[in-house]
Amino acid sequence: MSLIEGLLGPDDPEVGCDECFADLDRYVELELAGEDPDAVLPGLRAHLAGCLACREEHESLRALADGAG
Amino acid sequence: MEVSIGGGLAATLPGVDPVMDPESRAWVAALAGDGGDREAALGRLHALLLRAARFELGRRRGQLAGLSVAERHDLATQAADDAMMAVLARLGDFRGLSRFTTWAYKFALLEAATKARRMAWRARELPRPPEDWLAVADPDGRPEAAAEHAELLAAVRDAVAEVLTPQQREVLLTVVAGRVPLDVLAERRGTTRGALYKTIHDARRKLRAHLAASGLLAGEEVSR
Repeated sequence: MSLIEGLLGPDDPEVGCDECFADLDRYVELELAGEDPDAVLPGLRAHLAGCLACREEHESLRALADGAG
Repeated sequence: MEVSIGGGLAATLPGVDPVMDPESRAWVAALAGDGGDREAALGRLHALLLRAARFELGRRRGQLAGLSVAERHDLATQAADDAMMAVLARLGDFRGLSRFTTWAYKFALLEAATKARRMAWRARELPRPPEDWLAVADPDGRPEAAAEHAELLAAVRDAVAEVLTPQQREVLLTVVAGRVPLDVLAERRGTTRGALYKTIHDARRKLRAHLAASGLLAGEEVSR
């Protein structure tokens, strides 16, 4: 992510960190099932784009739920 | 709604989704029950959380290079212990919209990641935003990005100085330009990740509105 992108953040409406955490497990399983998580949980992908901490945890959860670890 | 849970247990759990998969249903039933079944489930849950915590710490091995094997083990155990408390405290929130294991994993990942970020910064002073942070080239190292976005970067720099409050400016620059993890800054300020992110979000909205009003935000320059 460039400095400008980091300063300006995502263009789309986004949820906050608490809402992201609350729905992250469902979001990951929809992703792994090949479904469209953004249709079910709008605003979460934009938050992951804007929040490095939540994005890192999303990557880890996805890997674990997909059988890593 | 109340749904009877099977497996020979007579308990009912408010709010359990009727489509919950059998394995998740068994986890919830055992953890909400009592006696030997619960004790066994607690043991399995802690093992699951410890595996997730170790997985997260393993991904952050570079950040934690200064820790001994014993210290990393202690950190994973602390993360699993704290995650277990959180899982049990929020068991009633689980609706079966994912597998129970995925739901539980996220608590261990959050605890482990937060502890690792804070551990990595524990002996470091937070950098205060210097004036020249926004004068440096784009940190992703793409020369074309620096060249193409020079005008926009200058406008963003001016907007940061002009339209943000001092708190918004310091938080945004410390996290984005100074690359301080949100959890670390939240701990030092006695607040939460969510509250700090709200500050960043509000600052970004202000910057975007200002740049849009100046006609500088059209096109693809800042899209992902």
